[in-house]
Amino acid sequence: MRTKLKPLIFVAVALIAFSAPTFLPVAACAAQAVEAAPQSDWQAEFDDICSKTQDAMAMGVDELKAVLDRCDKLKVKIEALEGTQRKVYLRRLEMCRGVFAFALESKEKK
Amino acid sequence: MKSFMLMLSAAIFASCVGAAYADPASDYGRVVINNFSERAGMPAVVFDHWLHRGLYTCRLCHVDVGFAMEQGATNINKAGNFNGYYCGACHNGRTRFGDKAIFPACSDVSALGEKKRCYRCHSRGVDDVQMEYDFAAFTKALPKKGSGNGIDWEQAEATGLVKPIDYIEGVSIKRPAIKPQEDFAIHSKSTWMTDVIFSHKKHAVWNGCEVCHPEIFPMGDKGSVQFNMLQIYDGEYCGVCHDKVAFPLRDCERCHSKPVQ
Repeated sequence: MRTKLKPLIFVAVALIAFSAPTFLPVAACAAQAVEAAPQSDWQAEFDDICSKTQDAMAMGVDELKAVLDRCDKLKVKIEALEGTQRKVYLRRLEMCRGVFAFALESKEKK
Repeated sequence: MKSFMLMLSAAIFASCVGAAYADPASDYGRVVINNFSERAGMPAVVFDHWLHRGLYTCRLCHVDVGFAMEQGATNINKAGNFNGYYCGACHNGRTRFGDKAIFPACSDVSALGEKKRCYRCHSRGVDDVQMEYDFAAFTKALPKKGSGNGIDWEQAEATGLVKPIDYIEGVSIKRPAIKPQEDFAIHSKSTWMTDVIFSHKKHAVWNGCEVCHPEIFPMGDKGSVQFNMLQIYDGEYCGVCHDKVAFPLRDCERCHSKPVQ
């Protein structure tokens, strides 16, 4: 039995060894795509909030307060991410939030 | 008031002296990035802001990609680039500009050919770097105005010579075109200088809202924020971009353009 298995094990090891250089970069690319993929729920929320910055000055006080609240809730989710993704999206969210806060301040000072 | 005028005169004089010894136009708007490069055994990155500025809007890089507005403040690193952030958002070998893929930034491969690719960005002090874009050739047909790198970007865009891209799939947010903003006057406190006509419309199209507000121009105590030329010369307000990558402050008339009444 052992002698029959030996060639099979050898073939399996050889196959893995030869195919690794092909599959590893593919796996690496897939991992990269997962990290950069903009499809998660926090991402959808981020896109929705930050697509509205140019309308900030036209929003009412209540609307602005609501969107600022959404920003703060989203920040918690983004803070749970890792590495560069966390850093980049926190920065981007901070910029979006800043515009809404700016618009709110402008309205409250008028 | 006297001391203010003295300081302002000194700043303008220093600026004029600086102009006489200014670097060549091709160096204006070049940013050296060296947070980690030399520590990692690579030459520092020499980033040609004038090139990217001609191809992409400010908002694309400084909002969508997330580059800070201050040299070295982003802390760009190899892992970030490699994972599709920062430079790697476009420089990934897949994103296309025109009919070709943009070369990938950063890699683990250290073959001789790959080193040449590294040096396309990590080029400070490296001899014989073959840059794809040459300043003189790139700007030859563009309209010229004033000092700095001498390019009139606004006119270049108005005449269709440059068409800055404002969207990258997978990075940018899909959003409607920004509503046209109205230009407005900024009152000059000096009697010898005309008011500024601020091109809010053009700045908004290029920058979006986020680049300027509230980080650079916050809300002032009574509404509009108050600032002066000394603060601008010190790199605040307009001076965040102007005198660094946008046209220099010594081109007074390009901002102080309201006709004398």
